[in-house]
Amino acid sequence: MTDKTFDIVIVGAGIVGATLARELSAYSLRVAVIDKASDIPSGASRANSAMIHAGYDDQPGTIKADFCPIGNRLYHELAAPLDFTLKECGSYVCGFDDDDRIHLEKLLEQGRANRVPGLEIISGETLRRREPYASGDITHALRAPTGAVINNFEAVLAFIDNAQQNGVELFLETELKDLLLSADGAEVVGVATNRGRLFAPVVVNAAGVYSDLVARMAGDDSFFIRPTRGEYYIMDKRIGSLVNSFFFACPTPKGKGITVAPTAENNLLIGPTSIVQPGRDDTSTTADGLAEVIDGARRLIPSIPLNMAITAFSGLRANPDTKDFIVNVLERPLGFVNAAGIKSPGFTSAPAIACHLVELMKDRLAKRISFIPDPTFIPERKHTPRFEMLSLEEKRRLAEADPRYAQIVCRCEMVTEGQIVEAITRGARTVAAVKIWTRAGAGRCQGGFCGPRVVDILARELGVSCEEITRHGGHSRYLVGKTKDYWFRGEN
Amino acid sequence: MEERVLSMICVSCPVGCDLRVRVQGKKVLDVEGHSCPRGIDFAEAEVANPTRVFATTVRVSGGKLPVCPVRSRQAVPKERLFDISKEVARLVVPAPVDIGQVILPDVCGTGVDIVATRDLKAKEESA
Amino acid sequence: MADMQVDVAIIGAGPAGVAAGIGAREAGAEDVLVLERDWDLGGILQQCIHPGFGLHAFKEELTGPEYMHRWIERAHKAGVAFLTNSMVFKMESDGSLWVMNPEKGVFHVTAKATVLAMGCRERPLGAINVPGSRPSGIFTAGTAQRFVNMEGYMPGHRTVILGSGDIGLIMARRLVWEGARVEGVFELMPWAGGLRRNIAQCLNDYGIPFYLSQTVIQVHGRDRLEGVTVAGVDEKRRPVAGTERYIACDCLLLAVGLIPENELSRMAGVDIHAATGGPVLNEFYQTSRPSIFAAGNVVIVYDLADWVSQEGVAAGRNAALYAAGILEKPVRRIEVRGGRNVRLFSPQNIVGSGDVTVYFRVLRPIEKRCRIFAEPGLFERRQRYVRPGEMNEIHLKGAALQALPETVTTITLDAEEV
Repeated sequence: MTDKTFDIVIVGAGIVGATLARELSAYSLRVAVIDKASDIPSGASRANSAMIHAGYDDQPGTIKADFCPIGNRLYHELAAPLDFTLKECGSYVCGFDDDDRIHLEKLLEQGRANRVPGLEIISGETLRRREPYASGDITHALRAPTGAVINNFEAVLAFIDNAQQNGVELFLETELKDLLLSADGAEVVGVATNRGRLFAPVVVNAAGVYSDLVARMAGDDSFFIRPTRGEYYIMDKRIGSLVNSFFFACPTPKGKGITVAPTAENNLLIGPTSIVQPGRDDTSTTADGLAEVIDGARRLIPSIPLNMAITAFSGLRANPDTKDFIVNVLERPLGFVNAAGIKSPGFTSAPAIACHLVELMKDRLAKRISFIPDPTFIPERKHTPRFEMLSLEEKRRLAEADPRYAQIVCRCEMVTEGQIVEAITRGARTVAAVKIWTRAGAGRCQGGFCGPRVVDILARELGVSCEEITRHGGHSRYLVGKTKDYWFRGEN
Repeated sequence: MEERVLSMICVSCPVGCDLRVRVQGKKVLDVEGHSCPRGIDFAEAEVANPTRVFATTVRVSGGKLPVCPVRSRQAVPKERLFDISKEVARLVVPAPVDIGQVILPDVCGTGVDIVATRDLKAKEESA
Repeated sequence: MADMQVDVAIIGAGPAGVAAGIGAREAGAEDVLVLERDWDLGGILQQCIHPGFGLHAFKEELTGPEYMHRWIERAHKAGVAFLTNSMVFKMESDGSLWVMNPEKGVFHVTAKATVLAMGCRERPLGAINVPGSRPSGIFTAGTAQRFVNMEGYMPGHRTVILGSGDIGLIMARRLVWEGARVEGVFELMPWAGGLRRNIAQCLNDYGIPFYLSQTVIQVHGRDRLEGVTVAGVDEKRRPVAGTERYIACDCLLLAVGLIPENELSRMAGVDIHAATGGPVLNEFYQTSRPSIFAAGNVVIVYDLADWVSQEGVAAGRNAALYAAGILEKPVRRIEVRGGRNVRLFSPQNIVGSGDVTVYFRVLRPIEKRCRIFAEPGLFERRQRYVRPGEMNEIHLKGAALQALPETVTTITLDAEEV
């Protein structure tokens, strides 16, 4: 890549970078988003609870408390125009004794102060009438009707995709190496990456679990990130109906935060643990962690069967030592913007943070960039068709218009070749990216059936050999060579 | 010559009988544990000259698949299996391939032919 | 494309479905249609290129593709119609099917009787709860088999195999035959999952170590698999501290079990048996929906394709009889139950007056003289062993069943030492 010039470079294409890019794309600005991953979302935006929180959890007066309920509303408003899956399921925080009851009252109060609509505390009996598999030990629950679940993959893609349609450039496998500053160190002039330099008067730090390291490059050592591992199980859709809503438990000294939730596609998601770790990219699961997840989940829904797990994963939350989001514009170097430490409810808050940041930049960085609304801005986009969700008639129409939509590739999630080809056309380069776009390989056989077929289609569409296809970029090649050459490898 | 007792699992059929084979040199004196006469044949072959049916794939040019499965028509000496595998790996066979087609006669001088085990059409033909 | 009406529709052109087509035609059904989602017929046996098939059906040992070739030829001669590239994506409770095909679009197939022959799928890593990272290089054995045998690609240089199911054993030898290394096969249970002859001819022949009561407890590597940690397990299958060791490898194959594939069956409201994961059947291969029949690995995972074909023929025949309105009407209902050492069995109900074969698998092996039997006093056979990897057959005489007093509504199968 040769050097390029932009108005704004956003470091990180997680939900924070994506929502900001989309917000900025409404203006006549040249915006670049860089991410070191091969497919997005990576990091915490990829591996989380996919919960759109109602907003009762945060103390009034914190930045979180301001952003969370607004973010919640924005997701509800944007789900249709940006075409990502959002399921209005509501949530319950469950209490098991009198102490928990006091905790629930406090949350109710906080929620009301944060202007969260519809909150109420219900009895355990009422809960079990609505949710028959809920534990008999639950005595009370706080109901929040605006809690929702989202397909977090689709949401990040939707914001980035729409931003790209409106002119934002996305650079994947592009890792920030250094911040470029003016000779006197007073101003930002761009970034150096592994693939060349991007010049811009404004650089936004949305680097998630790495955001403290990026801030250091600007001389900002006001916070540091403690990567916090959260492990999860995804269970088969067959038991997705064990719960209709998102279940939290009141925190206990022993553990906190294991939730049980339906996903946007009706799997069951249980987790996460919360373990601070030194590594910023080790997303392994552990035997202890997964055991904790099961125990925690069964406290809420005792009948969860372990043999219905289809996969386990872990994500690293960008947990800042300051406890609150770090959203600011530095005085020096001028042009450096932090959107850092966006941990839970970070995904929920992101669209609100994006709006706030734009206002902040308008106010503080007007001399460096001009915010002129772009009259050609298109506020909506379509995802690739979700074949499984279509009506019979829609399926028929699509299949007749393009035979590739009549060729099922992933049998578990009913993903067609047409969807996969479209995902590749729109930027998917790896097996993981195809899964993120289409859910091929996300079902109960975890790519056992569709894996070889997806590799084939990727190779064909990208015009490369199957051996060059990776699972998730980097050194993650799917295959190691051709069978018949294998005896003679190393020979000429 | 000294007598020895060998343990082996008969692979002639899915039952997989545990055989105890008393041998003197390469001569089988006695077989126990078999449930059909093939167990004795297997034990004798295993002591004198163990053989196996070999199955692999061969590269195909212009085929609906890039490789076609093949096998040795009869069992081949076990010690030659890797030589045979390398020999077959060098070949490229043009599509279409017919089941039973000889891909490589008298592989590695064993007197056994390598034959195709499926029909494989050329790429543009419909299945 | 125009919707279709047939006498018998069959889902899947693997060993069960092709045989069901033949059975249906031979029993007199006029229009018999087999729907196959792949571009070619043969199902999973297309990729099972090793010999080991046909000893029962053809009295000679064939490779998977050769075995299926013979059945497919028979089916063509019998007048069975096939539609390839045709995915059944929805099944109604009357057994009618929604199908899509790239040339024909979406269409509806109604049949007087339908046979489920979708086979089974492999359990993935997530289902067995192995912690660690999720790098590339982890495959189910069958996925690797497809890559190697049909696509011509190698899954890894140094492979560890978890589980001793037959596909894993076969793949160990297959990779060695292609010049790669296999570091070992690790089996959680204290006994082998696959057939003994595959231990002998796939592992022992090539000096591949086989470890019982050991399992993979951690996967390492961020991009590509770098290694696994294995450990011994106790009687409750929990890892034993201090037995851990690291094995460098770039490929992990999983041969940890097969699960009948019954998404369509569930859609149609067919009752699924908790233990087998397949439809609850009577001896006519008839599910809880009378017009829907089932055969092969979609019902219960067999160890030999020959049995699957045999069951397929019988299921097809009964489906044809049902379609013609001449399938024997139920005379009484006897429930089959498994005893203490029975893991799986099929059929679960006996309703007719004829002879019945019940297949079952044991929970634990008995490596000495033992008997398999059906109470009350219906069948007994002495065997030299029973093993979880091998299906047992119980033969029940129709006359004996009919002679049971009306008060007897269940019969029980089991295997025990003598």
